[in-house]
Amino acid sequence: MMTRLTACAITAVAAFALSGCMTHETRPIPRVNAIQAAKEIPAEQLLDVAVLMFDENVPKDEKQQEKLRIFPEVRKAEARYFSMQMRNTLEGTGQWGQVRVVPADSNALDVQVNAKVIESTGAMLRLAVTVSDASRRTWFTKEYSQPADTRSYKDGGGRARDPFQNLYSEVANDMLAFRQKLAAADVQSVRNVSELRFANELAPYAFQSYLGEDKKGIYHVARLPADEDPIFVRMDRIRERDYALLDTINEHYSLFADNMSEPYTNWRRYSYAEIEARDEAGRQALTRKLLGAAAIIGGLVAGTESNTYVGQAAATAAVFGGAYAVKSGFDKGAEVKMHSESLKQLGESFQSEIQPMVVEVDGKTLQLKGTADEQFHEWRKLLKELYENETGEAVTLPAAAVQTEKKAGGS
Amino acid sequence: MTTGERQARINREFDRSFGVFDGRMRDEQSVIAGQRAGRGGTGAGQGNGNGNGTGAGGSGAGAGESGGGEKGEGSAGASGKGNGNGDGSGTGAKDGGGAGSTGGSPGNGQTGGGGVGGGGPKGGGGGPNTVPPNIPDGSDDDVVARQLREAASSETDPELREKLWQEYRNYKKGS
Repeated sequence: MMTRLTACAITAVAAFALSGCMTHETRPIPRVNAIQAAKEIPAEQLLDVAVLMFDENVPKDEKQQEKLRIFPEVRKAEARYFSMQMRNTLEGTGQWGQVRVVPADSNALDVQVNAKVIESTGAMLRLAVTVSDASRRTWFTKEYSQPADTRSYKDGGGRARDPFQNLYSEVANDMLAFRQKLAAADVQSVRNVSELRFANELAPYAFQSYLGEDKKGIYHVARLPADEDPIFVRMDRIRERDYALLDTINEHYSLFADNMSEPYTNWRRYSYAEIEARDEAGRQALTRKLLGAAAIIGGLVAGTESNTYVGQAAATAAVFGGAYAVKSGFDKGAEVKMHSESLKQLGESFQSEIQPMVVEVDGKTLQLKGTADEQFHEWRKLLKELYENETGEAVTLPAAAVQTEKKAGGS
Repeated sequence: MTTGERQARINREFDRSFGVFDGRMRDEQSVIAGQRAGRGGTGAGQGNGNGNGTGAGGSGAGAGESGGGEKGEGSAGASGKGNGNGDGSGTGAKDGGGAGSTGGSPGNGQTGGGGVGGGGPKGGGGGPNTVPPNIPDGSDDDVVARQLREAASSETDPELREKLWQEYRNYKKGS
């Protein structure tokens, strides 16, 4: 009796499922907005933010790249694009000073955002984010994950909200929450440490005693130089130039992101559609195979236990229906492969489109940095002369600084 | 050479080097602004910052205005930070290098747009292209003189520009 009931239940469920009543439903994602500054923040309380170029996180092994569906040039472009989106979100809040996307090896600004791309498809974005300040204190490390807001794909064009804007807004809000916990003196200290680290990088013989470091490697201000200190005055002017350099590099990134926006949005839109279709086909293939098998088993069991013509006929129909479902499951499997192939072609096509743009922006950045390195080499030399002239002491640069000098001087 | 003389020489070297660097950054930003203009101003929340350089007696300061961005859905653009350069007479206005970036954070429906700062670290002023009197035409300049001339011509800070021209004069007298 139990066996018959079970068989009937399996057959009924299989028939119900096969009739197409199981669908995959998506709901609109609530939008998260970055918190805007309600009033102007005093200049001395604003912290500058460096969004370091995101870590592309591309595995070296090509098979691994294929397995994870990573197109290296697309990922490179994305790292630059995401960094710019993060920058724009932070800048737009009015909660921070200057917000810049900077090359990964840049000098410290007041606050640094480091992020690694864990997953990026048209359907999902996952980033591992660490935010720290110039004193080397880590504000937080957190993994952010965000499914695409498909309304952005429907809105179309480059004017739509980014499908992953929620993620950037969440990072911005987490940063704000941390900063709001800092006392005014802490904020001032971060700014001073940042300034002294820059000075120390250029003229360690003059500034190393101004910075202290605790057992955990966290910097603090040991003392501050006098405002009229001639070397410090020069340092300020050099820092202005460093900012100008970063701003110029930033403009290259900004232009790159703007140029990339439209083709990239289209690529994400099409990728999203293919991923959805592939996953849906995959779900249907599995469902049909499982339920088809269940219908066959149920039909066979019911058939052996049924003594009536109608029962036998129903059982036979269930077995045939199950077999058909299994076959259609395999057909759906072929559909999955087709969508996977489409995704691959889309990726390869976009990769060839975006690659020259990445090469161009990287080339310009390198060129600018090369020019600046020469000038910084000269300024280091002049600072050293200035210091020696002021103090009458001959300065010997530490080995690391000499290496940097040689590199910049090309000797 | 006395300590004071050495310091003055170092300061001149700094000024010259800063002038060269600023000129390079300005050139680069002009190129970027040109490329951006060539794009036709499309894109999400994009704005074009306009810097108005005004100069009075050679001491005007360029100031970038907020980028006038597109009104994008739920986008609030960052404030523009373009710096403009005044023209030769110190009275004209010129488009700054303020280049709009993608509109910022979402949600409040404010006008989008905004700019990443253009221009050099110094504002515009009384005309970087003005060549003061007693400056030769430069046809016989050697490499150093050319560098000094170029730095002076493109410098927007009036004080620094005058120092650079003086350095140029001194160099030409000595050469």
